[in-house]
Amino acid sequence: MSHYYADADKFGDEAASPLVEAFHSAVKDLVRQRFAASGQDWASFVFDGAQTLITAEDFAAIDKRILALGHRYAWSALVSVAERPDAYKPAQGLHDDLAMFSFEHPEAVVATVDAEGWQQCGVGDNVVPFDEMLVGTARYLRSSAMVFDYLTRGVPPGTIAIIDDSGGTLTAPILEQFKGVLCAGGTVRSHLGILTREYGIPCFMNAKLSGIREGDTVRMETTARAKTAEAYQQGREMTARVWRRAK
Amino acid sequence: MAAGQVNAVMNKDRINYPQLLETNALIQQLSDESYWLCVTRTVQESKLFPVSPYMLLSYFMAFYRYPELVRKVDRHLPAEQIGDRMRNMGIKCANPAMGWGLPSFYLLGREYMINLGLLRPQDALVDLIDVMDFWKRFQLGWHRNDGHLANSNYGHRAQILPERRLQVFHADLYECRQGDALHNAAQAFMAAASQYGFLISCESRISLCNSGPYKISDTREMIVRDYMDLSESDFPWLDDVARDIPYNNLTVTMAVEGCHIYLMDDWGSFESEPEFKSHHMVGVGLYTSDALSEGYLPVAMGSREELTNAFTSLTDKLKLATSKLWKRIALWTRDQMMDAGAVTYFAIAKDIAHVAGCYEVEDWMMVDERAERFRPLLNDEYSNAFLGELVGSMTNPSQRVSEYSMMMHANTPTRMYSHIPYAVLDAGDFTRSVEPLRPGRSHLESKQDRYTTSAGVLTLAEYNRRAREFTPAVCGPRFRHLCETWLKYHHQSPLAQELYCLEQQHSRKLAGRGAGLKRADIEELRDKL
Repeated sequence: MSHYYADADKFGDEAASPLVEAFHSAVKDLVRQRFAASGQDWASFVFDGAQTLITAEDFAAIDKRILALGHRYAWSALVSVAERPDAYKPAQGLHDDLAMFSFEHPEAVVATVDAEGWQQCGVGDNVVPFDEMLVGTARYLRSSAMVFDYLTRGVPPGTIAIIDDSGGTLTAPILEQFKGVLCAGGTVRSHLGILTREYGIPCFMNAKLSGIREGDTVRMETTARAKTAEAYQQGREMTARVWRRAK
Repeated sequence: MAAGQVNAVMNKDRINYPQLLETNALIQQLSDESYWLCVTRTVQESKLFPVSPYMLLSYFMAFYRYPELVRKVDRHLPAEQIGDRMRNMGIKCANPAMGWGLPSFYLLGREYMINLGLLRPQDALVDLIDVMDFWKRFQLGWHRNDGHLANSNYGHRAQILPERRLQVFHADLYECRQGDALHNAAQAFMAAASQYGFLISCESRISLCNSGPYKISDTREMIVRDYMDLSESDFPWLDDVARDIPYNNLTVTMAVEGCHIYLMDDWGSFESEPEFKSHHMVGVGLYTSDALSEGYLPVAMGSREELTNAFTSLTDKLKLATSKLWKRIALWTRDQMMDAGAVTYFAIAKDIAHVAGCYEVEDWMMVDERAERFRPLLNDEYSNAFLGELVGSMTNPSQRVSEYSMMMHANTPTRMYSHIPYAVLDAGDFTRSVEPLRPGRSHLESKQDRYTTSAGVLTLAEYNRRAREFTPAVCGPRFRHLCETWLKYHHQSPLAQELYCLEQQHSRKLAGRGAGLKRADIEELRDKL
């Protein structure tokens, strides 16, 4: 077998992520085998043998071997787990279990109930400051089925949407109807942050929340300063508080 | 023989040292800037679209197809002449498309292949040189007025436009203030257009681009914001749902007061001090343009009321299209979402083919069969982790260099994109090209033969024919080389008068005024509140 360049890297060794390394090691093993079996030199193999001898079926077999080890992929798009439930970790809080669901961030700041009946249950990065604090009803938005339902029935007035998608597409057709948004991901520059700012909707990004249930009355400290680019670059906390009305 | 053809032929004949030095310098510039962009701008994520998987798929597509596609475009119209035309249009040839996407997606695909053990840094060498060379020539032509290769070389600024165009934009701005009807309508339009832009682009922001700033008075700056690919045109998923949107590209000119735009990056996003808020917008205008238009054409700029109504009407149409498109996308399979996202990214530079009149659906809207092979690898978790290493931590083996090194911005011994080893000049141990395009496939519905242009709704064959036969007057042989330095000393000449009057022909305030006006004169001519 001719010299295989990937075996002689002075400075590079493995990818940092074990999963990435597992996939890439498997692909390199495959290339080694097919390269040796081809009888070609590298210059001939790279855009000839490598393109015909290494197939989608080979890559599917690598995926299958990883899953056979018991690994289940973390999902980021709902369609991924919906189409391959056996390959992905299960999704929660999407359907019938919503009533008992809540975001539980390990760094959420939770306080005792104050004299007015409010309990702090988290913080977030304020996108734009407003003159007054915002009170509304918490409603989780975690799937296109939920969005479709609201698109059909209308978003109830006073809804503060609790979302873990910092993108601008999942809630696209109904975003404008929200009274406020608590997003468990992203930064104030994320697409959702950009859109809420343009629509003039109060929004906290990177919200670290605990204990908010569907239908809870929540209050957002929308009077807090907006988190700045400098604060992000310096890793400096600059948060606004979130409360829920104690029952 | 056109310049681009000469270059392509020379590259095939020999590789030389200056060529490699230049190519590696371009690779390193993109390496440094890509890292800065990826770590300082926002992370793109979605629960709707498998974003990282489709990005990785698009990088494979770029690696296999960009070289042949840029050579094809270059044969029709050289890159630097497309760059010249882009100074007169707000289409998807600016940032982030050509300023960053075309070279970076190719380099990301190349780096990915290297880390899969499928490519050496010296493989597909002619392809690499051709892509970088095309990019360089386009950028230099496009940035001719500010004299930089990219916004990053200008301290993150994009002063693309000539004075004659800036004067028209400046003069024809309508004053507005927060709370008035025009301001409200413009703000609502921009919110709706941004949201629609994210959706048509499968969560990416590449349908939106800001450029500038331009100093329009002692206290004001102007931003030029392009919204692109809005109507039925290239993307099959906009067929029918976008039929009522009358313009494929819209450009909003914005006068900004009370904040300074201190950063305009190669993704077309900006930073200001203090942070830009809606009340900072004090003037607005609206234009459209494309590969068939004589530059920017005003949209509803006849009166304040007409412009206000146009913004409102467009907003309603965009919201309706958003709702229709979202319902279509919500029913897509993962493969369809992957295809749409990957095509959106891969085809980020497709408008160079429209300008050159050689656009083909099979070239730009399909997943190349060589790239398609990798789809089974692209689950969400692996894709997120690998992409994070590729553009963030740069911890893939190929990206690690000598421990003495300190990469720009990162201070780590890393390099996002591998250089070409110079030893290929001695040993000749390199390969040239991935060779011709292979067939592609798509899980999406076939594209209807309807293309919304400034000349009406055309078939693709007609669109290409007209594009090939069309040269905007300011880009024709009579005016093409009349640059800002020439103008500085010849503004009283009949030729300068003719050039300025050409640009001013659709201007409400400047029609026929010629080349002699300065900024203060323009400000004096403007409509006041």
